[in-house]
Amino acid sequence: MDSQAKRVETISARLDAAGSSTDSVEDELELSAVRHRPEGLEQLEALTRFNRKELQILYRGFKNECPSGVVNEDTFKDIYSQFFPQGDASKYAHFLFNAFDTNKDGSVSFEDFVMGLSILLRGSVQEKLNWAFNLYDINKDGYITKEEMLDIMKAIYDMMGKCTYPLVKDDTPRQHVELFFQKMDKNKDGVVTIDEFIDCCQNDENIMRSMQLFENVI
Amino acid sequence: MAAGVAAWLPFARAAAIGWMPVASAPMPTLPADNRQKQEGLIAINVSGHKFQTWRNTLERYPDTLLGSTEREFFYHEETNEYFFDRDPDIFRHILNFYRTGKLHYPRQECISAYDEELAFFGIIPEIIGDCCYEEYKDRRRENQERIQDDEDSENQNEMVPPDMTFRETMWRAFENPHTSTMALVFYYVTGFFIAVSVMANVVETVPCGTLPNRVKEVSCGERYALAFFCLDTACVMIFTVEYLLRLMAAPSRWNFIKSVMSVIDVVAIMPYYIGLVMTDNEDVSGAFVTLRVFRVFRIFKFSRHSAGLRILGYTLKSCASELGFLLFSLTMAIIIFATVMFYAEKGSTASKFTSIPAAFWYTIVTMTTLGYGDMVPKTIVGKIVGSVCSLSGVLVIALPVPVIVSNFSRIYHQSQRAEKRRAQKASKAAGQALVCKANPMFDTHHNHLLHCLEKTTNHEFVDEQAFETSLLEVSMVKQASCSSSMSSSSSNQGLSCCSRRNKRKNFNVPNCNMTGGHRNSIQELSTIHIRERHIANSRSNLNAKFEETVPLNCEHPYITAAVITLPTPPVTTPEEDASFLDYSQANIVRVSAL
Repeated sequence: MDSQAKRVETISARLDAAGSSTDSVEDELELSAVRHRPEGLEQLEALTRFNRKELQILYRGFKNECPSGVVNEDTFKDIYSQFFPQGDASKYAHFLFNAFDTNKDGSVSFEDFVMGLSILLRGSVQEKLNWAFNLYDINKDGYITKEEMLDIMKAIYDMMGKCTYPLVKDDTPRQHVELFFQKMDKNKDGVVTIDEFIDCCQNDENIMRSMQLFENVI
Repeated sequence: MAAGVAAWLPFARAAAIGWMPVASAPMPTLPADNRQKQEGLIAINVSGHKFQTWRNTLERYPDTLLGSTEREFFYHEETNEYFFDRDPDIFRHILNFYRTGKLHYPRQECISAYDEELAFFGIIPEIIGDCCYEEYKDRRRENQERIQDDEDSENQNEMVPPDMTFRETMWRAFENPHTSTMALVFYYVTGFFIAVSVMANVVETVPCGTLPNRVKEVSCGERYALAFFCLDTACVMIFTVEYLLRLMAAPSRWNFIKSVMSVIDVVAIMPYYIGLVMTDNEDVSGAFVTLRVFRVFRIFKFSRHSAGLRILGYTLKSCASELGFLLFSLTMAIIIFATVMFYAEKGSTASKFTSIPAAFWYTIVTMTTLGYGDMVPKTIVGKIVGSVCSLSGVLVIALPVPVIVSNFSRIYHQSQRAEKRRAQKASKAAGQALVCKANPMFDTHHNHLLHCLEKTTNHEFVDEQAFETSLLEVSMVKQASCSSSMSSSSSNQGLSCCSRRNKRKNFNVPNCNMTGGHRNSIQELSTIHIRERHIANSRSNLNAKFEETVPLNCEHPYITAAVITLPTPPVTTPEEDASFLDYSQANIVRVSAL
């Protein structure tokens, strides 16, 4: 993983040295010149809980859409938005992107992608809840504040779009956040910690059931 | 749907786990996954060339030969592959269509061979990608025109169908002089008389010596007045008869009268009749003389005989704006130079430049480098201005002429191409409405995903019309809104709603191309969305029925079918049907469990 990342870095560093201006065109060139080759199948098999066949299928789909081997945030938003034509999925896609981009290098490589999916589809409930907490905790400080939750909630409601029944009012996300905090924030200190979150979710039958929903997606 | 979006659906569904902890309602159950998990290679042998692809690739387009069970007819047991006795070179492009979602047209292939292959494999040409579509349509049109020409020339040598009425025969004779000998004779006779008439008009004005009892020279017209009058009468007779015959034979008289040629005919013969009617009044005969000028319009009757004249007229008409602009800029230049010239020459004595309009003539003559010399500047300033004028005249006149010439050809071709493109777009839109439907399994799962989102936020997707009606009605009963959205979506088999970005009338069935435009993909998915909403609306009604125990006044067949019995399903597409059935079954179980 490190060697790959290093390879990516050297190429982009070279390009950076060549042209120092941060033009968007240059960024595109940089990304298209960067060719990311993922780790071998064996390593990925070891790192994730997918078998060979599943990894092959995943990679083929991934590579088809992103021939360069990495997804940058705009492409990511584009792809995700296509599933939600009625609303604006870009904000939620932004949060998703940050959740998948574990090494914070601005692009999601196939390893990031597959490891994220491995947790979501094959992980234990604990791991999935962990992942969800990570998604909600925007600044990764270990606490979900009401503002962070509100951002996430607004992003989710944005995906619904304008034409909904009943109408999404301005304070609908806020009300939803209040509900969430009422349920999750046991000690009423205004933030939700990871333990409170996992505890509460494990006690909620609906959430437990829905976590198992997408096991057989591949 | 292209590989891209469909392949990322598992990711989108996995990411939905992020909604689960905040969901306000339980998630809907998964749709039944009755996809056979056949992930295998298919071998296709086309006239000896072996192609291989994944089974899933072919099944992306279930409406085509390769994507449906129709391919089983071509299965060859001995070699365990599918054998097609077709052209392998063109097959390559067809297979690429399955892989990339874009159909390309190879320029070196014959258009009819390509069309045949497409028809054989069940692929509609309208989904050819934008990169190749124009070329394809051009070639196709050329080919059809060639076929048409061949047919036409055949037709012309055919016998006239005996059941044509006399009127139709006559019209045909007028339009196509080559159809019969009579028509040809008529054609040449009229041509001859047009020429004679024009020549007579010209010769009339030539001085012909003096009359015996006069001193002044007279023109031939005055000398042989009677002869010319007889000639004129004869010509006008012929023209009138011709006009009346055409009028009689025309299939649509009103159209004929409106046409340019008929106007020219009328203008050509009117002066004679007006002259007959008018008396020898002094004042009026002056005007009458002017009218005779219109006789020269007879020369335009030649345009029936010459196609080139017609094309010239058409191009002039289509370049009218360019010519107008040239005229305008010339006028500006003329006014400027004439003004300067006038003021420059004002001082000199006996100057011919008596006024600015008088100077116009000088400017025009100088700018077009004619230089008659009837007006020349005398002052030094005048001469300087004059030289500047002639130099700029060269530029102003000489430069636009090639531009206009190229404008002619450009505008001509452009108007042709614009019409072409308009026609192509119309047929393309029509064709795409028939294009293959999306992958059914993708639909089901995508619908389920959208439904999960609805459950998370406890709001539902509605179509735009229902949304607007709900905005208008301030206090509404839930059923009323349900029924309005139901009835609006139940028309057109539930395919008439729209997403936020689409208008109601342009309904697009998913375009199988992922042509990279975001708009395209939105349109694609809007139909999926539509189907989803259909189900969602009906499900909301189910919930309404059970949870709120309010009687439904929707007359939607889905509702009655789903609630009462397990269907004889209403008229829908099979995929929608299957998925809805699964949903309804599952949902009924769920609802009763609540």
